[in-house]
Amino acid sequence: MSEPANASGGVVERRRAIRSSQNFVAGLTLLAVAAIALFATADLGEGRFYAVGPALLPRAVATLLALAGAGLVAGGLMKEGDMLTRWSLRGPLFVFIALVAFALSIRTVGLAVAGPTVALISGAASPETRPRELLLFALLVTALSIGLFRFILHLPIPILIIPRLLVL
Amino acid sequence: MNDLFSNLALGFSTALTLPNLGLCLIGCMVGTLIGVLPGIGPIATITMLLPITFNFDPVGALIMLAGIYYGAQYGGSTTAILVNIPGEVTAIVTTLDGHQMARQGRAGVALGIAAIGSFFAGCVSTLVIAALAAPLVKLALLFGPAEYFALMVTGLAFAVVLARGSVPKAVAMILIGLLLSAVGTDLETGGERLTFGLTALTSGIDFAVLAMGVIGFAEVLNNLEAPEQRALAKAPIGRLLPGRDDLKASAAPILRGTLVGTALGILPGNGAVLGPYASYALEKKLAKDPRRFGRGAIEGVAGPESANNAGAQSSFIPLLTLGIPPNAVMALMVGAMTIHGIIPGPLVMTKNATLFWGMIASMWIGNLMLLVINLPLVGIWVKLLDVPYRLLYPAILVFSCIGIYSVNNSPSDVVLTAIFALVGYALIKLGFETAPLLLGFVLGRLMEENLRRALLIARGSFATLLQRPVAAGLLVVAVIVLLAAIIPAVRRGREEVFTE
Repeated sequence: MSEPANASGGVVERRRAIRSSQNFVAGLTLLAVAAIALFATADLGEGRFYAVGPALLPRAVATLLALAGAGLVAGGLMKEGDMLTRWSLRGPLFVFIALVAFALSIRTVGLAVAGPTVALISGAASPETRPRELLLFALLVTALSIGLFRFILHLPIPILIIPRLLVL
Repeated sequence: MNDLFSNLALGFSTALTLPNLGLCLIGCMVGTLIGVLPGIGPIATITMLLPITFNFDPVGALIMLAGIYYGAQYGGSTTAILVNIPGEVTAIVTTLDGHQMARQGRAGVALGIAAIGSFFAGCVSTLVIAALAAPLVKLALLFGPAEYFALMVTGLAFAVVLARGSVPKAVAMILIGLLLSAVGTDLETGGERLTFGLTALTSGIDFAVLAMGVIGFAEVLNNLEAPEQRALAKAPIGRLLPGRDDLKASAAPILRGTLVGTALGILPGNGAVLGPYASYALEKKLAKDPRRFGRGAIEGVAGPESANNAGAQSSFIPLLTLGIPPNAVMALMVGAMTIHGIIPGPLVMTKNATLFWGMIASMWIGNLMLLVINLPLVGIWVKLLDVPYRLLYPAILVFSCIGIYSVNNSPSDVVLTAIFALVGYALIKLGFETAPLLLGFVLGRLMEENLRRALLIARGSFATLLQRPVAAGLLVVAVIVLLAAIIPAVRRGREEVFTE
């Protein structure tokens, strides 16, 4: 499992008014989520007497969440703790694009294209990637998954679609 | 007693069919594999394989998923001993003495004793599950909705306290899970809740989508950030079978580790995690010369390794008998069950007897397979460490994309997963553990259903939760557990357990 990274680097010593920026921001995030949930359930009935309405549980949970958020914010101001570490953009960005590319291509051109596309775009997420090695590997993985999903598990996944010419 | 044996016979006749044996073997192999590879945990793997299992028969699917979980405990210790990298959290303790043994040229003995201890623990905890199942199910059938609700609250309280990391943050994750479970159409009124007018959300958030995004993909994103750990020196393995002295020294620790692990595994929240720490501390306390620990004491391998395997298996007990998942891995099992139309709970044992006993029998078979796969093939597993993450993660992504797409044949599910991946990454960055979120999500629906049913029976009076003695007792336990976690002395103790 992943361990939360320890405070090092990142936001460094800016006259520490906030003792733990990680907890502080985490708390603010929770408060925001709670606020959204309370706002979104405002027009639902909480119910009375015989039946509990649909809003009871979400509103109760959101209230508790707000409390937890407030606690973290206060803790972040008063107690020493981890600071925020640097957020990388490269990893999340390319992986996200790769996944969306898969969603767009699986039904339109099929797995034979969508598979290598995911592998190649996501490859850009790591600085260690070697393009030629990755291309070979991507084709291999795609071939294997076509074999597994289509021919062993018999899933209705399109393999290759060329409009008006070919549907596999 | 006779019942037990006829039940086990039914189980073995189910588990020993060819397809189920095959799936058990695949599960154990995959489990060992991801156990060996650091950075890929059983939760993420089960998440990624969950969609594929939709096409299997439910018994086979669960047998395979279970195999991944306990298989990972075996694999995790292999790398802990040989290269000082714990493949799993549960193997962290094993690095202390296991790797020291390897440095002294006794790697094979350490591996051997770890496997023997794990196997013994697996056998015992399989029997414990089989023996405890019937009485627990009887008890569970006496429970009404109020008791169930209280039981789940208590379970979540334990889950918070026994988890690693900060208590308020764990609470927050469970709450977010509960909140996400409320998204969608309300079961009783048919009204939409928290859907923000999006049609994709009207039927609620799909479990596989949430798990794959927040746990599976977020872990990939997190791993991409860390520079890859390289195993530098690989010690020669040496002879595998422990000698008579080694066995003599380990027998008692294995027995104690098994007991400690089984007991702690049943508790909600930690599964296999807490057992090895407790067992190591216990062995160190009982040892005549505690200074040997950390310098290659065989007891320090035998005890914890038995404990983590025992815990991995006994954590199935609350799921199989009460239908309440005690940790995130079991929450995934609930997901797998419901997808196949099996409602987890006390009725599983009678209604789906083949599933229930087949799974239990498969655990014993799986442990035997693991013993065989692990010892002779240890060299191959270690070679796998040479596969670099830069190749591993694109393959994981391709596989997972296909898996998540195939659940509903829906490309929009893949996009939703991508969004959850970013959410999960942000949560990790903010220092949250995402596993409790999954637990909260799965328990959320069950809790709400039971709470509303309880209140309906009691004509809307919340007092019912306190008037029914069992429910009230459970809630009191929950409050005590949570309060105790805040008391400084206990908190310090808790931190010590996890830092040792």
